Amino acid sequence: MRRLALLAVIILIIALTGCGRKEAANAPRGAKNYVIGMSQCNLGEPWRVQMNADVKAAADKHPEIKMLFKDAQNNTTTQQSQVQEFVDQKVDLIIISPKEALPLTKPVSDAMDAGIPVIVLDRKVEGDKYTCFIGGDNVKIGEEAGKYMVKLLGGKGNIVELKGLMTSTPAAERHDGFMKGIKGSQIKIVYAADCHWLEPDARREMASALTRFPGAKDIDAVYAHNDPSAHGAYTAAKLEGKGREKTIKFIGIDSLPHEGVQYVKDGIITATFQYPTGGAEAIDTALKILKGEKIEKNITLGTRIFTKDNAAKGGEAL
Amino acid sequence: MAKHRFSNILDLAGRYRGVLAFVLVFILGAVFTPRIPGTNVTTFLTWDTQRTTLLYYAEYGILAAGMTLVILAAGIDLSVGAVLGFSATLFSLLLIGYGWSPIPAVLVTILAAALMGAISGFVIARFRMQPFVATLGMMLVARGAAKWLCGGLKVQPGAQPWYAMQSGKPHIFDSMTNHIGTIGIQPVVLLFFVTIAVLWIVVKYTRFGRHIYAIGGNEEATRLSGVNVAWVKIGAYALCAMTAGLAGLCNASLNGYGDPEAGFTYELDAIAAVVIGGTSLMGGKGGMFFTFLGAMIIAYINKILSLNNFEEPQKLVIRGALIIVAVLIQQTLEKVEKRRTK
Repeated sequence: MRRLALLAVIILIIALTGCGRKEAANAPRGAKNYVIGMSQCNLGEPWRVQMNADVKAAADKHPEIKMLFKDAQNNTTTQQSQVQEFVDQKVDLIIISPKEALPLTKPVSDAMDAGIPVIVLDRKVEGDKYTCFIGGDNVKIGEEAGKYMVKLLGGKGNIVELKGLMTSTPAAERHDGFMKGIKGSQIKIVYAADCHWLEPDARREMASALTRFPGAKDIDAVYAHNDPSAHGAYTAAKLEGKGREKTIKFIGIDSLPHEGVQYVKDGIITATFQYPTGGAEAIDTALKILKGEKIEKNITLGTRIFTKDNAAKGGEAL
Repeated sequence: MAKHRFSNILDLAGRYRGVLAFVLVFILGAVFTPRIPGTNVTTFLTWDTQRTTLLYYAEYGILAAGMTLVILAAGIDLSVGAVLGFSATLFSLLLIGYGWSPIPAVLVTILAAALMGAISGFVIARFRMQPFVATLGMMLVARGAAKWLCGGLKVQPGAQPWYAMQSGKPHIFDSMTNHIGTIGIQPVVLLFFVTIAVLWIVVKYTRFGRHIYAIGGNEEATRLSGVNVAWVKIGAYALCAMTAGLAGLCNASLNGYGDPEAGFTYELDAIAAVVIGGTSLMGGKGGMFFTFLGAMIIAYINKILSLNNFEEPQKLVIRGALIIVAVLIQQTLEKVEKRRTK
């Protein structure tokens, strides 16, 4: 009886969290109309919400495009079946921002075999069986942040690094790039912690860093792998009550309009570096592919810096 | 004579095993954290450390207090993390989106959270659904509702063009996190203490509290003795969700915005705090003071690791090992206590 109950629970969990959603496979197909399916790995992340918004905004400018959005809710299996569903639906093109490279390589290559072009956004799949990859360059962003830090502190100082989830590639690359950027300077990382991209974690770790280095000039700046972490570090400094949030410089990455860019405008953080979503570029490229024009297979997006001086003007390309 | 005294000590250790584990962790912190530059005192013993530990772990403590009620009644509530996220989002939306004043916003948020718990409790009591499953469902509902409310975007000034507040920050966020006068304690921390104290009185001195213990001990017997088990259960889950609502207020105030993702996996920390404190997952045994200790033990362990700036992999291993050791101490001493009292 108990075993039966356990089984029931497991089935329920799968049913509740899993891949029970099916959509009607009757997308209208006119002569010049294109149906583009987009599978987003996780709409729980604001940056990915922004990516979908960018895709939608770009697609809305072209009445011939009909977008179908799917959210895999951070589940690889769900995303695999979503790609398959798009193939079954016979969409004209698939845009995928994969959760993981390896498990989504086969679904993408199956779609290609079915004659559907695939644009891979942000994270790669294995091999080269895709039509086009569009993504930012985290190493370059980290390096630019490092160089900016050197300039900001006059080549010397103690800093705290609040990392993203270090087992994820972006965090590792943002760290490596930064180290390259500050190489040769006298900038020392006195405290570093894995904050898993989460603001509450960054707040807690920063509080510990402040306790360990309690002097007014012990910490000169914070390099955070994302803007919420930079914001969390600022909050921790402010709640410490010694006014150090005014002397410490905070630098973040991502530059979402209502996060990083807003924090810069509000004077909370000194600078933020944009990690582009590639949403607009994906639609441009999709149209080229659908019209049979030639495209580049790998498109690397540049970054922009936002500071108090240029935030209102939309930042500055680097 | 000597033997008698020894058994007396064991008796005491058994009865106050939660305190013992707490003291051990405290000593661990006092010894194994870096010293303040130029002195012999470790950073753990500074007021700054104690204050930030309380401030940043208050949410977990508040959640754990509510979770204790449910676990005492031999239930479990997996939805508290999601209800926290929902409450943080709703609270921010009312303040920032609709420009409400703080008091109605607080009341509506807490009521909405309590309602979610009451629904879980009703389903569990009326249809005898396993708490694990019912609250798992509620977890998804609450998380979905949170995302629905805010359209997937964090609720902060200017995030949507129609928000009443387009810049700045609701005043209450600052008053919740700035310390009161000279005491140096923030309202968020005070809320943690008050929640523990109030629920301590509830479980210890009210009939409702005694019924919770009775249900956890033997539900059928309690039912047969004329107690309305369903209402007690609904009450326990509603109160539990209510603390999740309170924790949501703290979360939004600390963040300065409403994050629909807030509280993800917090239910596990809340359950861990309850168990480390010494409350039995089988129900009927334990109490609110134990949970306070359990919450502080977890907070201290995290703080010690963070002050030492261990690398992430080491942190995880040590944290896990310390939690297991803490529970082990508890259980060993519990056995000792049982043997003594027999």
